[in-house]
Amino acid sequence: MYEVRFHGRGGQGAVMAAQALAEAAVLEGYYAQAFPYFGAERRGAPVRAFARIDEDKISIKSQIYEPDMLVILDESLLDIEPVAEGLRSGGKVVINSTKTPEKVDLGVEVDCASVDATSIALETIKAPIVNTSILGAFAKIEDIIPLESILNAIMNRFGEKLGHQAGVMNSEAARLAYERTVVGRCRGTRKLVERMQWLPTWDELPPGTALPAKTIDGVDVGPGSAWQNFTGTWRTSSPRYLKEKCIRCLRCWFSCPEGCIDRLDDDYEKWDYRYCKGCGICADVCPVQAIEMIRGVHEW
Amino acid sequence: MVMKVMSADHSVAHGVRLARAEVIPAFPITPQTLIVELLSEFINDGELDADFMPVESEHSAMSAAIGASAGGVRAFTATSSQGLALMHEMLYAAPHNRLPIVMANVNRSLGAASGIWLEYNDSMPERESGWLQVYIEDNQEALDMIIQAYRIGEDGGVMLPVMVCLDGFVLSHTVEKVDLPDQEIVDRFLPKFSPLDVLDSEAPKTFNAITPPDYAMEMRYRLERAIEDSKTVIGRVDSEYGEVTGRRYGGLLDTYRMEGAEIALMTLGTATSTAKVVADRLNEMGKKAGVIKLRFMRPFPGRELAEITKELKGLGVFDRSLSFNGFGPVFTETRNALNSAQFPITNHIAGLGGRDVTFEEVKSMFDIVERSARGESYRECNWHGLRGVMV
Repeated sequence: MYEVRFHGRGGQGAVMAAQALAEAAVLEGYYAQAFPYFGAERRGAPVRAFARIDEDKISIKSQIYEPDMLVILDESLLDIEPVAEGLRSGGKVVINSTKTPEKVDLGVEVDCASVDATSIALETIKAPIVNTSILGAFAKIEDIIPLESILNAIMNRFGEKLGHQAGVMNSEAARLAYERTVVGRCRGTRKLVERMQWLPTWDELPPGTALPAKTIDGVDVGPGSAWQNFTGTWRTSSPRYLKEKCIRCLRCWFSCPEGCIDRLDDDYEKWDYRYCKGCGICADVCPVQAIEMIRGVHEW
Repeated sequence: MVMKVMSADHSVAHGVRLARAEVIPAFPITPQTLIVELLSEFINDGELDADFMPVESEHSAMSAAIGASAGGVRAFTATSSQGLALMHEMLYAAPHNRLPIVMANVNRSLGAASGIWLEYNDSMPERESGWLQVYIEDNQEALDMIIQAYRIGEDGGVMLPVMVCLDGFVLSHTVEKVDLPDQEIVDRFLPKFSPLDVLDSEAPKTFNAITPPDYAMEMRYRLERAIEDSKTVIGRVDSEYGEVTGRRYGGLLDTYRMEGAEIALMTLGTATSTAKVVADRLNEMGKKAGVIKLRFMRPFPGRELAEITKELKGLGVFDRSLSFNGFGPVFTETRNALNSAQFPITNHIAGLGGRDVTFEEVKSMFDIVERSARGESYRECNWHGLRGVMV
C-alpha cells in the first residue's frame, strides 16, 4: 500500500490534487482512494487530504498517519503544523517552494522535489491554485505513476468539472512543473512544530458548551482565541498602502471582509497584516489606486 | 458498463440518474450537497428527465417528495443531520401512505456538539419512522443501493420508503473506482414505478384521513407486517441484482471470515472496511475472528443474526451513536435479538462527532471481545478513543 498525505490551504486545491492522483493511479491499473479532512471550511485554512494506492482493493477507511509521501502545497504550513509527522523512513516529499531542496528545512532529511508551483499556476491558469503544478513535481520524484497518466487524469477531472480549456491549462501547469522541478535532499534541522491543542478528558470538560476567555494548557479558548491564530500567513499577495494617493473615502475600510484595516483618527488607514489574507478587495474598491497588491507575504 | 473515479455522493447521484427519478425536491446541506448539485447538472444537461425543486427547507423537500410520490412518480431527495431532523414530522407520512420514496442521508452529527462530521445520531432516531434503512460501506454499494432501494421499496408487497445512509466525508467525499451499469440493464432491472394509489381528480380517493382509535392499531400492525415482509424482498432483489451486475451484498447483512469464527465484531458503514483489515491481521495471527456487516437497520435482521452467531464465543457490536441508556442503538437491538445467546455481547462506541476510527481502535474492540470470550470479566459498553477514565 502506497500512502500520500497532502498539506495545503483551503482554495489551493489539495483535495482535487488527491483525487486526480487517485484517478491517475486507476488509469495505471491500480486501486486507489482519495479523501479530504475538512476542518472549518474556509479559504486559506490548513487542509489535509489523503490518497491510497494499491494493487489490491483498498478496504481501510481511516486517515493516513504514516505516509510514504508528503505533498506540501504551501511552504508556510511548516511554521504552523507538524507537517512531517509520521513520514515513513525512506519517505519522500514534494513541496511548493522557490527554494532548492537543499534549502528547504522539513524537519527530516529525505528525498525532496521542490518547484515554484505558485509562479507556474499564476503563469498558466492565472490563479494561485497549485494543485496541478504540484502533481507534475510528484511525477518527477516518484515513478509509481508516469506523467502521462497524471496529465490524463487532470484532463478528465478538470475538463469534466470546469470545461475543456481548464483541463488543457491545468495539464500545461503540471507539464511545466515537471520540467522545472528540482530533485535533491531537503534538510532536517527544524524541530517539528508542536501542535497547540487543548485536549481535556471528559471530566475536565466544563458542562454545557460555553467557554470563557481563558488560557488552558497554553491554548486560548473561548472569545478572543484568534489572538493565538494569526491567519496572515495565508496570503499569497499583500496590499501596499500609498498614503499620498489616499482620499480617505474609507471604501477599503468598509469592504475588508476580515476587518483588518484600522481606521485612524484622521481617517487614513493602517493594515493589520497579522490577519490580512491578501484577498485584494481593498485594492479593487479603491477609486484612486492607492492600494497595490504585491506578490508574497510582506508588511509595510 | 463504464468505470469512473468518483465520490460516494456523486455515485449516489449517478444511481438516481440511472433509476430515472422524476421529481427531486431538495435543500442543500453539507456533506450531502454534492449529490443534489450533480443531479441539478444532470437535469440541466438533459441527462436526466426530472423536475428539480429547490425548496425552502427540508420539511418542504420531504413534503414535496411525498406529494410527487402520491402523484405516481419516482421521487428522490437527499439530506443530512439537521436537515433530516427538520424532516422528522413529514417522514412519518410516507410509510403509512405506502410511498416508496428513496432518500440518501449522508450521516452527520446532529448538534449540539455541532459539527459537520460523521455520527449516526441523525438517522438512528428515525428508525422508528417506518422507513427502511440501509447503511453503506463503499462508493459502488452507494450507487447499487440507490437502484436496489427503488426496486425494494416499489415492490408490490413492500411499498415503503427507503433511506440509504452513507458516512459523511469518510465515504461521501472519498473518491474510488465505481462501475456505472448500462442504462438498459438498469431499465430491465427496475421497471417503471407502478404506484398503489394515485392522486387523480378523475378517480378521486381519500388520502391520509384522520385515523381514529378504531383503525390506528390495525394500520400500525399492517405497516409492521410490511416491514417484516420486506426482508425476503431485500434478499431476492440482492440476488437478482447480482445476476445482472455480478455484485451481491448479502441482503440484510453480510459476513466476512465468519466460517469457523469464534469471535466477531458487528459493524455498519465504513467501519466495516477497517474491521475487515483488522480481521485479516487477527486471522494471520491464528485467531478466528470474523466481521458481521449490518446492512439494514430496518428491517432489523434479528433471526438472521441469531443464525450466523450461534457458534460464536463472543460478539462485539460497534455503534457510532448513543441511546443515552448506557448503550448504542445497534447494540440494544442486537442484544434484544440475541436474548438467548450463551456468549458475551459487548458494545463498542467509537467515532462520535467524526473522530477517526483507526485500525488500532478496531483492534482494541476485538481484543475486548476476545477476552470476554475467554471468560475474563468485561465491561458491557466500551468507549474507544475517549480521553479520561470511564466510570
